[in-house]
Amino acid sequence: MNWTGKDMDTYLQQKEYIDTLVIPLIKVEPTLDKMKTSGSTAEFTMLLASMIETQFKGRMMFAPPFSYTASTSIEKMKNDLLNDFKESPFKHIFYLTTDPAWVSSADNGQVIWLPSIPLEHMDIQLRQTILEDQLRQVLPKFTEKWASA
Amino acid sequence: MSSKVSRRQFLSYSLMGVGGFMVSAAVMPMIRFAVDPVLQAKSDGDFIATSQKADELTDVPVRVDFTIKDRKDAWYKSDVSNTAWVYKEGDQVIALSPVCKHLGCTVNWEGDNHKNEFFCPCHAGRYEKNGKNVPGTPPLGPLDEYQVQVVDGYVHLGKTVPNTLV
Repeated sequence: MNWTGKDMDTYLQQKEYIDTLVIPLIKVEPTLDKMKTSGSTAEFTMLLASMIETQFKGRMMFAPPFSYTASTSIEKMKNDLLNDFKESPFKHIFYLTTDPAWVSSADNGQVIWLPSIPLEHMDIQLRQTILEDQLRQVLPKFTEKWASA
Repeated sequence: MSSKVSRRQFLSYSLMGVGGFMVSAAVMPMIRFAVDPVLQAKSDGDFIATSQKADELTDVPVRVDFTIKDRKDAWYKSDVSNTAWVYKEGDQVIALSPVCKHLGCTVNWEGDNHKNEFFCPCHAGRYEKNGKNVPGTPPLGPLDEYQVQVVDGYVHLGKTVPNTLV
């Protein structure tokens, strides 16, 4: 499910089945030397998110991506998000990011970190294969969490 | 005497000729518009070629990915990646849509050790090989089928239609 009006209608009818929220996190770095990586990272994160969404449409809701810049305090943003989403009806909340700053030992499997792969020069077939490999890597993290609750 | 055309006759002939021409100029396009839908060539563009050769298929479903180029969604144009589970039943090629009938997740063949079944990882929905939903699991209907054509040995897939095998 995506964060759109139509999907939200389905969600409201099928609340008991859709118990997982995924929040993509994107670091935006608008300086000349980092723009390229930043763009490529954002592309990777969003493509992977849409791929996971297709696979798990009936169990996961995808929030719109949250963006931040270099001076954002990750610690604070993380706590704020955690606090605000605590109110949400979702049982499992995951963060999807390529920024290692989000990973800490205390986050209890919620932050799903992946190294970014530049996809812009690949043809569609190869890109699909690579994204599928990545998907296979993150899959156990979701199912583990589902099984444990 | 009779071979001579009188002034009156000449005038009425030429008026009839010109009048007929003008009327036909107005009516012809109308007729053309009316029959146009019949003359329209059936577009074959609904079928998408895949890289799957038909004679390499067995009775075990394999995953076939294909891309719909330039699909228009309002003003937004995009390439859409699609997947099908394709296998052979006798001589017939069967392609099933991987979209779970419960809430639209993607099903996998023999996922999570369910032998000879499609499995949906979201809520443990199960389907038999022909797409029939296993009673007692969340899905309420069988998997959709793709229209299949074999062109030059390659599998071409069309629209999804309700399952005809169950």
